[in-house]
Amino acid sequence: MIRLKNIKKSFGKQMVLKGIDLTVEKGEVVVILGPSGSGKTTLLRCINFLERADSGAITIGDLSVDCHRATKKEILALRRKTAMVFQHYNLFKHKTVLENVMEGLVVVQKWPVERAKERSLQILEKVGLSQQIDMYPSQLSGGQQQRVGIARALALNPEVILFDEPTSALDPELVGEVLSVIQKIAREGITMIVVTHEMGFARDISDHVVFMDNGVVVEEGKPNEIFHAPKEERTKQFLKRITPEWRYSI
Amino acid sequence: MGKSFDLNLVFDFLPKLLSYLHITLLILVGAVLIGLLVGFLAALPRIYNIPVLRTLSAIYVSFIRGTPILIQLFLVYYGLPELLKTIQIDVTHMSSLVFVIITYGFSIGALFSEIIRAAVSAVDRGQTEAAYAIGMTPIAAFVRIVLPQALTIAFPNFANLVISYLKDTSLAFYIGVMDMTGRGQTLGTATNHFLEVYISLAIIYYAVCILLEKCFSLLETRMLRYERQFPVSQ
Ligand SMILES: Nc1ncnc2c1ncn2[C@@H]1O[C@H](COP(=O)(O)OP(=O)(O)OP(=O)(O)O)[C@@H](O)[C@H]1O
Ligand SMILES: [Mg+2]
Repeated sequence: MIRLKNIKKSFGKQMVLKGIDLTVEKGEVVVILGPSGSGKTTLLRCINFLERADSGAITIGDLSVDCHRATKKEILALRRKTAMVFQHYNLFKHKTVLENVMEGLVVVQKWPVERAKERSLQILEKVGLSQQIDMYPSQLSGGQQQRVGIARALALNPEVILFDEPTSALDPELVGEVLSVIQKIAREGITMIVVTHEMGFARDISDHVVFMDNGVVVEEGKPNEIFHAPKEERTKQFLKRITPEWRYSI
Repeated sequence: MGKSFDLNLVFDFLPKLLSYLHITLLILVGAVLIGLLVGFLAALPRIYNIPVLRTLSAIYVSFIRGTPILIQLFLVYYGLPELLKTIQIDVTHMSSLVFVIITYGFSIGALFSEIIRAAVSAVDRGQTEAAYAIGMTPIAAFVRIVLPQALTIAFPNFANLVISYLKDTSLAFYIGVMDMTGRGQTLGTATNHFLEVYISLAIIYYAVCILLEKCFSLLETRMLRYERQFPVSQ
């Protein structure tokens, strides 16, 4: 289980997160929605300390960390319980597909190379990249690169995978292949926090939806409630703008 | 002026001069090794923005860039023994070769630190973040992810640096080192056929440079194997 308590973060004078609380049950898929600049990326980055929140607490499984006081050791331990899939993939460019996936197992989790390779091959098969294991990221399409990014995260068997707009850098015709891989691993019961602007996908995949605006959680609930019967005016406005074709009982 | 030109002497001199090539290469290799070490140490404070050390490193680099290598050589040759005397170390019997290697090492180091610094900042930050996100320590992320790519990026500039310093080693004879150029100087004096000596020297330096360039470009192709080799078809 993951619990965020009163996470606050400012950049200079601008307060980007104004006290976020969030609980994610084991195996749950939480989708975070919100307009641009509302703090979604910052929130994800605070969870694995790519940004250090100014205050608040993060609990993942049996590890609780006070954001303000977290030591290097605690940060490392927290990062080893999480994995992240980036908007721009951020693959290791000098390593092959297989090496990208093995890297964390071998270097961080100290697996023997043979075992790491075996597991990585299984996972690459799962994301449909068995044919590409010896290629370098620069030789792959965006969709393939992002599937490597997902395999790299998945290999570590983390308690939660954080997705930050995993398809927003992709050409439209490549979005589908990535979304269906995410959907597939979601069905396997992996805990995920997903930031996305793909509303159909969000509705299908989520167990819980959080709508953020201006650094606060405006509204949260079951996908049905949020997508079809939102209570807050700001949620309604946002959904109407982004999915005007859907019918709302507003 | 010397005696009348004799082409045969050029070929006569070649083997005589070549027998001193190893001294020239020794200076180069020694200096490059020192340069790599010094260059890294000088680059780190500027990459990680460590106060004081960062400034010292910047001053060192700008001094080396702003002074001729020959003057640096004299400064070390005459200055270092004086400096060491004040702490009771006597180096009057140390070979001039050592001074040359030290000078060239520090000189290469300064330029190398600039190259490495630029190369490290050219590796996109996202990869470091990805390495942190999978739980790597900052040192592991630097050594395993950033550094290999930075070295590849730095390599062409590094190769040019090495080649230009190969040519600069010819200045070593000014402090009495018997390298290839030094040997040429004595040959010229003994035979009074300076032009032939210099033609031979030019041939040798040029050949070695070409050879080095070839080796470097082969290495570079190998290092760059992860860059895009063919367009994506899907
Ligand atoms: N490193 C930073 N330094 C300064 N300001 C930042 C930094 N990162 C984010 N911000 C600011 O924080 C605010 C929230 O940014 P964030 O990227 O979290 O929004 P987002 O919800 O992910 O938006 P989008 O949907 O466009 O990705 C923005 O106003 C942004 O300019
Ligand atoms: Mg964002």
